[in-house]
Amino acid sequence: MNDRSKANVKLAGQYFGLTVWLIISLLPPVILLAAAFNETAMFRSPLALLTLRDFTLENFNVAFNTGDFWFYFRNSVIIAVASVIISVAVCVPMAYGLNKLRPRIRGALSFAVLAMRFLPHVVLALPLFLIFVDLGLSGSRTGLLFAHLAIHIPFAVWMMVGFFENVPKEMEEAAIVDGCGPWKLFWSISLPVVRPGLNALAILIFIMSWNEYLFALFLAGSDAQPLTVGITRFMGGVEAGAQYGVIAAYASLIVLPVIIFALLANRYIVTGMTAGAVKG
Amino acid sequence: MQNNFLNRYTRGWYFVLPGLIAMLLIVAFPLGIAARFSLHDVLLYDFDNQWFVGIDNYIRAWSDPLFINSVKVTALFTLANTLGCLLVGLLVAFMLSGKRIRFKAGWMALFLLPFVMTPVIVGITWRLFMWEPDFGVINQILGFFGMTGPYWLTDSSTALFATALTNAWHLTPMAILVLYAALTTIPDDMYEAAKVDGAGAFQTLWYVVLPMIRAHILFVSIIIMTSAFREFDMVYTMTGGGPGRSTTVMSILAYNRGIANQDMGMANTIAFTMFMIMAVVAWLYIKVYKVNKEASA
Repeated sequence: MNDRSKANVKLAGQYFGLTVWLIISLLPPVILLAAAFNETAMFRSPLALLTLRDFTLENFNVAFNTGDFWFYFRNSVIIAVASVIISVAVCVPMAYGLNKLRPRIRGALSFAVLAMRFLPHVVLALPLFLIFVDLGLSGSRTGLLFAHLAIHIPFAVWMMVGFFENVPKEMEEAAIVDGCGPWKLFWSISLPVVRPGLNALAILIFIMSWNEYLFALFLAGSDAQPLTVGITRFMGGVEAGAQYGVIAAYASLIVLPVIIFALLANRYIVTGMTAGAVKG
Repeated sequence: MQNNFLNRYTRGWYFVLPGLIAMLLIVAFPLGIAARFSLHDVLLYDFDNQWFVGIDNYIRAWSDPLFINSVKVTALFTLANTLGCLLVGLLVAFMLSGKRIRFKAGWMALFLLPFVMTPVIVGITWRLFMWEPDFGVINQILGFFGMTGPYWLTDSSTALFATALTNAWHLTPMAILVLYAALTTIPDDMYEAAKVDGAGAFQTLWYVVLPMIRAHILFVSIIIMTSAFREFDMVYTMTGGGPGRSTTVMSILAYNRGIANQDMGMANTIAFTMFMIMAVVAWLYIKVYKVNKEASA
């Protein structure tokens, strides 16, 4: 075999491998979606589901009408949006400021942030459950929001420090020489440079908040439960009747926003998730 | 010295303070409470009576077969996830970084989907449509090859494997993403030089490529390890920790002890043990990272 055909075989192999992984990646969500549009999703082989022979929208109708979808949806959106706003407002300045501290203090704080970033969520959920009883926040949406922030803040600071490190020192020094004040240095010099990081941060925090389940299970009272708890309660109600199609419809409604979000903004997710990779 | 001036001039502390206060209040303070409760006998239904018992809870935990079992289950679950994601992630990243592969961003965007998918929904989807014994995708495929698959999630010998695999499916995009980004930073002439020196594909990988992306491999391993270690949502929706205790990871055991058994002392002991393990991991990570950085500098 000459070099050229060898390279072609290699290329074909690469495309084949990528296609296999693509099928593995997409099959579960696609099956879920297909099941949502089928009349009877149970006792049907996956292939039969994919052909959509019994196409129906009835499952969505049932999910909307009997699953309190909009009630849970509202809680999910409120908590996710509030999480994004508060963590961006608090963490971006903190990440900026950390880079300006003395190395020793900065190192200690960075370690604390990293340790908090790795924190198993259950470690916070248990004491927060008890603290909120004392504070009268038990079961409330505000309590749940605090719990979310406890996860988001270390994550956000850690991620943004990586972005601020990329701001050229010469740029800041030049601004200082020109008489730029501390606030303006942050707002008009550094912040514009990390703009892609801000978008990435907002998107990732929204997704993390939207997907969260453990805190909601521990801390949310019946007024504050988000969609992730909504669907498990809904499942408990209908599983006896094995209405897989209705469960699939409900589940699709929950993942569709994040999937669309991810497809539209994947560039930012990529930058955000690789940000911490090469920093010290 | 320079940094000192920078701090004074830029007022670094002013920017750090709000975040720091927030962290102290909603992260450090609850952590302290968790540590305190782990040293007390606290029952949820008798919350006003708390007895200080020292490290008694920890001794009780380590002599409890259920706790020991959950440590083993968590270790297996974490290890399988880390190795699986790393291997598949490397493989896919290699294929995607091929010079003649087109639409790289498009592939990547689609590869990301398992990662952004809500863990609870991942659990539900795999339970109802993938692992389902009679009509699920996995057993249908096995059936196509003339094999009869087990009752994956209700069989205690396969449940952990199935949950770990599902979780690995969810986390692998993270590995692909970071390792792919790392591979694109390796200049072409490195490969050319290896080729000129007569290195085969495997030698190039082992002596040229892997050392260059060492920091990224470490980073991705740590991220996957920590998130697999604390996983709750997916396992809980797929098996609830069962059958028996075959998938009772530490997070689920802590939940069961605290909420179902109302034993908040023990629940916090298990949780705080998890925190201490992760603090050691964070410390080691920083150490290794520094060594790496100095070696490469």
